[in-house]
Amino acid sequence: MNEMLPAYAAGSLRGADRDRVRAHLAGCARCRADLAAWQAIADAATPGVTPPDAAGMVRAALTRSAIAGPADPPGDGPWTRRLRYAAALVGAEARLIRLAVPVASALVMALGVAVVLVQAAAVAPPATGADVVLALVAPVVAAAGVAGTYRSRRDPVAELLAATPTAGPLLLLVRLALVFGYDLVLALAASAVLAAAPAGGAGGLHALIAAWLGPMALLSSVSLLVAVWFGPDLAVGAAVGLWAVRVLAGGVFAGDNWPARFVMDAWSTNAAVLAVSAAFGIAAVVMAGRLGPYGGEPHGAWRATHPT
Amino acid sequence: MARPEPGSDEALLRAVAAGDAGALTRLYERHAGALFGYLYRLAGDRMTAEEILQDTLLAVWRSAAAFEGRSKATTWLFGVARRQAHNRLRGRRCPEPIGVPPSDRPDEGAGPDELAIAAAGGTPVAAAIDRLSDHHRDVIALVFVAGLPLADVAEVLTIPVGTVKSRLHHARAAIAAALTAQEVPE
Repeated sequence: MNEMLPAYAAGSLRGADRDRVRAHLAGCARCRADLAAWQAIADAATPGVTPPDAAGMVRAALTRSAIAGPADPPGDGPWTRRLRYAAALVGAEARLIRLAVPVASALVMALGVAVVLVQAAAVAPPATGADVVLALVAPVVAAAGVAGTYRSRRDPVAELLAATPTAGPLLLLVRLALVFGYDLVLALAASAVLAAAPAGGAGGLHALIAAWLGPMALLSSVSLLVAVWFGPDLAVGAAVGLWAVRVLAGGVFAGDNWPARFVMDAWSTNAAVLAVSAAFGIAAVVMAGRLGPYGGEPHGAWRATHPT
Repeated sequence: MARPEPGSDEALLRAVAAGDAGALTRLYERHAGALFGYLYRLAGDRMTAEEILQDTLLAVWRSAAAFEGRSKATTWLFGVARRQAHNRLRGRRCPEPIGVPPSDRPDEGAGPDELAIAAAGGTPVAAAIDRLSDHHRDVIALVFVAGLPLADVAEVLTIPVGTVKSRLHHARAAIAAALTAQEVPE
């Protein structure tokens, strides 16, 4: 009997049980004392507070639900969520790239292809090979594009980006993947066109790709490193300068001396060139992270906020 | 406390799952008193209790579709509220639980006990309830504040009914011990 007393004191006992307890209490002083103790606890436990009004409470909850966005559909693992986040990031960055950059890249690349085709039609073999033209055009297009991926703080977007919770290096990586990937696709397409053309003047598709892949990686990584350290303007200058050295070494100063040979070796696709490019690229991204998400002071400039 | 018709509670939950904000309001109006009292007892202050109540409404709004009708709507609601309270109160420092012999504290004027009594609404019993261990206070709040039948309390806490009863008696013994230590008749 006495184990029904708490529920009786709480008022949650119903029907026959309640009637039985009531009848028993009438004749049992011990249980009445017991009930009084439970009653004291019940009274003290009830805080006697009025709940907040329904309209305000429901509105607050619905507002929070709307702000938080749609709930994750059931069965949505962390990987799908991460993939969706990455896709959203790529989409957002793609919208920030000025239209002129991809259009100019495509035009320059198309010009290179046209030069090869026109020359092959006009000049009797052996004409300048398609591999040489691509090896000159593709790297400088990619390097110029990559130089623009590191946003200077004068960029109006930079202010907005500084306030995003996403890390600066991650944004830089996404942007790099977009721009470099685009240039990679352009160069591949140009190679495919030239390899398919009867007057290609070079071996198969593989030989054509080998002609530009290494130089493109090297020049782009150097360009990125300079962009992070000194700014995008200097990066374009450095890329064009290096590119000019290569042109001169292959043409005007063509010779068998060691500097010319070194330049020609560096301007090819091999493991060492790709490794150096990767090292430069990683160094640039790490450095971008240490300079802070667009908030870091430009290197070498006077500290505007902290006089030294 | 007016007991709602179980059937209509479940119908309301189904309407909430379909995106009916009016149904959420009606559901809240029915259970606001019990839910808020329960959360107030767990949280100890009005502002935190309101925050948890809002968390609970949000969770009900977003996961009403997960209610399959295997349990009663009330026990499901209190289960949601209890989980939200746990989430929000988890990191909080809890006061030393009673039920263990109190240390030899020098008794001088308005000591911590008197302050705790004042904070708990004045009565020594309320202060003692406030200083119960978490699972004892949870049972007391579900039985006496929320007014749930013992079987429903067992379902909310996912423990056997027998354990609910033994926890009730342990809680009462702890309260009695605390009152004896303060020399206040139960």
